[in-house]
Amino acid sequence: MRNGTHHDPTFDAERWQDGRNVGPVGALSGEGALQRIRARGPLADLGRGVPAQVPLDDHDEGRTYYGLPVLKEPVWKWFIPAYFFTGGLAGACGVLGAAAQAAGGRGTDDLVRRCRLAATAGIGASAALLIADLGRPARFLYMLRVFRPTSPMNMGTWIVSGFGAAAGLAAVPAVWPRTPRALRRTADAAGYAAGALGLPLVGYTGVLIANTAVPVWQGTRNTLPILFAFSGAVSAGALLQLWPPRDRIGRRTHAARDMVLRFGRIAKAAELAVSFALDREAAAHAPRVARPLHRGVSGAMLRTARGLVAASLVLDLWPRRRGGAALRTLSGALAMAGTVLLRFGVMQAGRASARDPHASFDMQRRGRGGAEEAMKRGVAEMPSLPGVDATGKESFHAGPGA
Amino acid sequence: VDQNAPSDHVVSSARALAHERVGPQTAPRQMGFFTDTTLCIGCKACEVACKQWNQLPDDGFAFTGMSYDNTGHLGASTWRHVAFVERETPLPGQGSPRDGAAATNRPFAELFPMGQPGPTSLLRDISPSHIETPVPLGRTQEALGKFAWLMMSDVCKHCERAGCLEACPTGAILRTEFGSVYVQPDVCNGCGYCVSACPFGVVDRRADDGRAWKCTLCYDRQKGGMVPACAKACPTASIQFGELSELRARADARVEQLRSRGVEGAYLYGADAASQPGTEGLHAFFLLCDEPEAYNLPPDPVVPTAKTVRSWWAMAAGVLSLAALAVGSAFSVRRS
Repeated sequence: MRNGTHHDPTFDAERWQDGRNVGPVGALSGEGALQRIRARGPLADLGRGVPAQVPLDDHDEGRTYYGLPVLKEPVWKWFIPAYFFTGGLAGACGVLGAAAQAAGGRGTDDLVRRCRLAATAGIGASAALLIADLGRPARFLYMLRVFRPTSPMNMGTWIVSGFGAAAGLAAVPAVWPRTPRALRRTADAAGYAAGALGLPLVGYTGVLIANTAVPVWQGTRNTLPILFAFSGAVSAGALLQLWPPRDRIGRRTHAARDMVLRFGRIAKAAELAVSFALDREAAAHAPRVARPLHRGVSGAMLRTARGLVAASLVLDLWPRRRGGAALRTLSGALAMAGTVLLRFGVMQAGRASARDPHASFDMQRRGRGGAEEAMKRGVAEMPSLPGVDATGKESFHAGPGA
Repeated sequence: VDQNAPSDHVVSSARALAHERVGPQTAPRQMGFFTDTTLCIGCKACEVACKQWNQLPDDGFAFTGMSYDNTGHLGASTWRHVAFVERETPLPGQGSPRDGAAATNRPFAELFPMGQPGPTSLLRDISPSHIETPVPLGRTQEALGKFAWLMMSDVCKHCERAGCLEACPTGAILRTEFGSVYVQPDVCNGCGYCVSACPFGVVDRRADDGRAWKCTLCYDRQKGGMVPACAKACPTASIQFGELSELRARADARVEQLRSRGVEGAYLYGADAASQPGTEGLHAFFLLCDEPEAYNLPPDPVVPTAKTVRSWWAMAAGVLSLAALAVGSAFSVRRS
């Protein structure tokens, strides 16, 4: 006893090392014993703490538990919205490249080449971003240990893998001019495969986040995949505006540039239209569900994104005589910024929505929870994908050895 | 963790092994929790027992400053959480004799227990003669007379249709032979999808560990034929563990009993598919006395996968129009 206090240095060392209060005689063998704790200093760094409560002025809008969120906020870092952008860009480039390849003719060669290069670079960046976001990046291949149609993330991993292989193969002639003829033919076939796989790649991310309990995402499940599809198309068009395909030397054609311009214009108009449809779908669930689409940081981001794409569309439609290249570059830059901001805005809206308990409660009280599906079917059994039982029960219901 | 824990665990492992050697179970039993919140006294023994048995690390010593609840929510390292609900309505039987029978909020509601001839009230039973009733109440006492706690020990619901399980892209989350939903820590790669897929906000990813964690319904203890740690530690039998069909029967009887005693608001939350179609019933269901929102439970949760089928069709429509747009713009341009 020193200074009048009991002090056991061994106990303190153990305690502060992992926060388990397991003395030196204890053994770590419980269900949570594998939970890894980083060596740390101050106690404030521990865990995630208690989440923030909703602002006080919102308390009178309905009952909550001290304004605490009912859902967990998505744990995804900035890698995931960045991946939504790169993945959408790669997928749409794959689609546009395959379409240009099918159309053929003079002046499309360079467009096809650039689409293939962009698709490969985009999917490479996507894979890196996805792996970086995992809590255990070394285990990224575990994503491919099952084929599980109920999990859009698992489906997406298969799509990303397939698209990555196809786009990579298709890009071989683009970086290696003396590609043998047989390989060139294989690359052309792979270009079509990348086009086919690019379609789900550009849209599935919308399904991925719609398949969550986050009210604003679940409440926009029918428009979100379409919005992401056209947003991907806008980003592909914008990239090719910033990095325009060369015209064929000797005979001047503008085929490739016209293709990009048409593709981009319609995609921008469609994206704008779908973004308004998204607001309507969310508001139909409950006003509280649509709130993060208009208010706060996410609202500002989404409004700016919409403004950028609209400005880009105006520039595209502007009658031009001189300074066409500068306008085109500006239009591409605006549209590109708009699509990036859209993905980050949607992610931010999801965070805000998960933090807001009223959004979940209001939506479910208005019959947009489990009742919606149950009433539609008249039975208390939720629909699942036809022919798929991934609830984990089949292995036991079938009996041992099945 | 005390010295008993490791030896207990050795015993459980041995029993589990013995179990395996005997042979696989012929008919898997569906086990679960019935949490009767009317019996909860908010002692948090379940929180402590869970942490101790499962050897979970602490997750900070936060002071919420709002109630006796300083845990706040379920998390990666918190698999039981006692919620403290404050209400301005008194529960029957709650209050003090000094409040007096004249108080409008009736702190001592007359209880009609089954098998007794008349109403019983603490006021009549003790017929306090030594204090004046009703005593004029001060402002604080009046406020306290209209105050009641509801406590609930929250836990993973182990849904019949589990959002986390259906969303898990690695197959790390599986259903055990006891009907519980289990995250395998050696398979989970920390994608975080289950965190957003859970309509109850149960699963969480611990930042420094990187993986998703939640209640295992004490799989190791069940393997050894033991009751989960929280149910074992609960001093008032608020947490009851058993076979689901048996628990449901017991819960129905308890609701009847409470209603006959004047607790009109008592009902079961998530006991079966009929009362909670979105999850097709919970393996850890609750008896509540107020709206689910008061306990931070969603009123009508739904497994997100149930609504995603149409989302895939919407995606198909979207990407096919994108394909049409690409092909249309490529072929419509003059390429001579």
